[in-house]
Amino acid sequence: MADISVQEPFPISLIANRYLLFDVNIVTYARREHNICGVLIGTIPHLSQQNIFLGIPLELMPEEARLLVEKGHAYIVEDVESHKSGFLEMSREERLAFLQVMDKQGRETALSNKKKAEERSEKALQRKGLAGKAQESSPRVSETAELNTRAYTDADAETSLFDLPSGTASPIFSQNSIALEPYFITPTTSYPPLPIPPTTPTLSLPDVPRTYPLFAHLHSRGYFMTPGLRFGCHYTVYPGDPLRFHSHFLATGADWDEEFNLLDIVGGGRLGTGVKKAYLIGGADTSSKDSRSGGYSDVGDGVRAFSIEWAGL
Amino acid sequence: MASAIYSAEVPSLVTDPGTNRAVPTENATESQRAPRPKKPNYGQIHSRPLPLETYPLPAFIPHNPLSIFRIVYVVFSQLFRPPSSHPSVCYKGYFSHETQSVHVTDCKTIRALWEKGFFGKGNLSRSEPRWLDQEMRKRGLLAQETSEEVTRKRREERRRFKIERARKEREAIEQQLREEGKISHPAPIDETETLDNAQPQEIRQQLSNGNINDRIEENGRIKYGRTPALPEKTPIKTTQPLKLDTRHSVEAAGIELDEEHLQLNPEEVLFLAYGLGVLEVSDQGIPIPTSSLFKLFCRHSSCQSPETQSIQPDDSFLLKYVVYHHFRSLGWVVRPGVKFAVDYLLYNKGPVFSHAEFAVMIIPSYNHTYWSESLERKVKIQQKEKRDWWWLHRINRVQTQVHKSLVLVYVEIPPPLHDDGAISELDVGNILKRYNVREFALRRWVANRNRD
Repeated sequence: MADISVQEPFPISLIANRYLLFDVNIVTYARREHNICGVLIGTIPHLSQQNIFLGIPLELMPEEARLLVEKGHAYIVEDVESHKSGFLEMSREERLAFLQVMDKQGRETALSNKKKAEERSEKALQRKGLAGKAQESSPRVSETAELNTRAYTDADAETSLFDLPSGTASPIFSQNSIALEPYFITPTTSYPPLPIPPTTPTLSLPDVPRTYPLFAHLHSRGYFMTPGLRFGCHYTVYPGDPLRFHSHFLATGADWDEEFNLLDIVGGGRLGTGVKKAYLIGGADTSSKDSRSGGYSDVGDGVRAFSIEWAGL
Repeated sequence: MASAIYSAEVPSLVTDPGTNRAVPTENATESQRAPRPKKPNYGQIHSRPLPLETYPLPAFIPHNPLSIFRIVYVVFSQLFRPPSSHPSVCYKGYFSHETQSVHVTDCKTIRALWEKGFFGKGNLSRSEPRWLDQEMRKRGLLAQETSEEVTRKRREERRRFKIERARKEREAIEQQLREEGKISHPAPIDETETLDNAQPQEIRQQLSNGNINDRIEENGRIKYGRTPALPEKTPIKTTQPLKLDTRHSVEAAGIELDEEHLQLNPEEVLFLAYGLGVLEVSDQGIPIPTSSLFKLFCRHSSCQSPETQSIQPDDSFLLKYVVYHHFRSLGWVVRPGVKFAVDYLLYNKGPVFSHAEFAVMIIPSYNHTYWSESLERKVKIQQKEKRDWWWLHRINRVQTQVHKSLVLVYVEIPPPLHDDGAISELDVGNILKRYNVREFALRRWVANRNRD
């Protein structure tokens, strides 16, 4: 996985005001290299009746998208536009080339599937042959033996039943016609078939909530962040990859001069300590750094954060 | 919403059949298990839900016709000499500008206000004024354990449990590493590791203990009598509080004076003074009439403009009082809920009987057309009504942790009485009459966990 290189800057698709990544390589790359986790929102095709484990696309928070763009690691692509124009304005040669590529992919998939099916059927036959021998040599030895073999054949029948569509069809096809029927591939990404769209400098930076300075600040310190709505905060802050660590902070962003209720500190502190984290509240002092506006992500960004723990629990 | 509780309504509030029920069974079980000190009979102590007297008619017993005469006698005697539901002497308190609360120093009044309706908070205790009890207990004069001590003990236990758990976890990890062969020289590294890990913890414990003792010495009044008996404790630590104890007992041998007073928050004061008429508040010896009391609290509710005379219809004290009065009128015991990040906690009978069932959060609601008339007002309202989802999730989760249900209480804000945008009239009843309260209960629901 690590050897697949991703070319920077990579495109982030903007669809219906969501920032999405469709390429698994880019998803892992962003997580590995840039501490950007995002949230997987796609259904897994073969586990479609649950929503605990999800797959691509990966949705990025606007803050994450903005950070990647600001640092020059990524750029935003209006996906609907580029998709439409890309496919409608395709020239004949390009289209043919595209279809050829699809065909090739389909053939490859079909071939590998066939190979697998053959291997499986061979294995099953082998096993069946052995079972048959056992039955021939000792037709009725004992009750237990018979039971064993029956169970065995049952299991076999099951596997063969499972293999039936591909296992029976493909040998016949391959025997009759050498030309294998290619699979029809639906491309999951737009940009291998289409050329990667160019950067559009006219597209403005993603709109971010006012908690962005805090996000950028924590990100610059090497923290990982995921949305924290379920803990009543803006971000849950992890010291490393969320797969390895529990989060340490429940971060809430605020404006520098924003007034807020003291009860919020009580609630946040209580909740944070209750789930073994610290409540963190922070914001950027915009008044002191008018000269370097917009440069939030530097370390001297004027952001200060305070962590609060509830001592009475 | 009723503007006041009339004395005629009070009996329905007072007659609570469940108050005395638990007593006999409690006594029976405790006689079998002697060592446990006897709990006071809370049912009897707190039999009155409000500091008012009631005079219910005697029961009518069908097979005893004489009981009719008793009823008739009581009816007639009350008709000619109606007994007062109020205490013979009005309770007295004085307003403290520093704390913006009303202090009650009279011992009898403190007991009465706490026992009948759970009003106020002891300034040296967590809720019930029990500082004197704690002091006496430290001198061995009292067997009854105070709730503060129970809490302290529980926290200490929990802390020790956590230390123990952390140690076990560490040992498990070390064990695992050793099995995997990742620690090449198990014994020496092991020791240093445990030492490194153990030392800061111990130091922290000692520091925290020392801090507590220091603070208490400064205070000079309370002391940390119960030493947290840690297994790895040095003998110095255990003797120190003992020394403190003796010195104090010598010093304070003659203390019978209760140094604690009861603090009533503004809503409680107004309810006692205006709603029930049993409290008289004075400021530097001059009694304050109810209407100016109302004004005083409204002025103190916001720190921005204490000088302005006019009261805004969405004044925070006014809202809080409206909600307080609403729930008190419905028979709930209402206590402040800052510790759970809400405005009020609602107890069914009182904090000594059971935990609070509901947590009340007040939200102003500007549905009246007056508030959406001009753009300026709309913007102002939007700011005041604005709450984000994070806020709601936070509050709700805190309540779930402590097993309470969150009740969002929307108070409909009426338009101001006069065109200058403020209330200037001072008939409290007229002001309160215009408010409307809506309750909205909320619960955190997780599909995976709440499957029955």
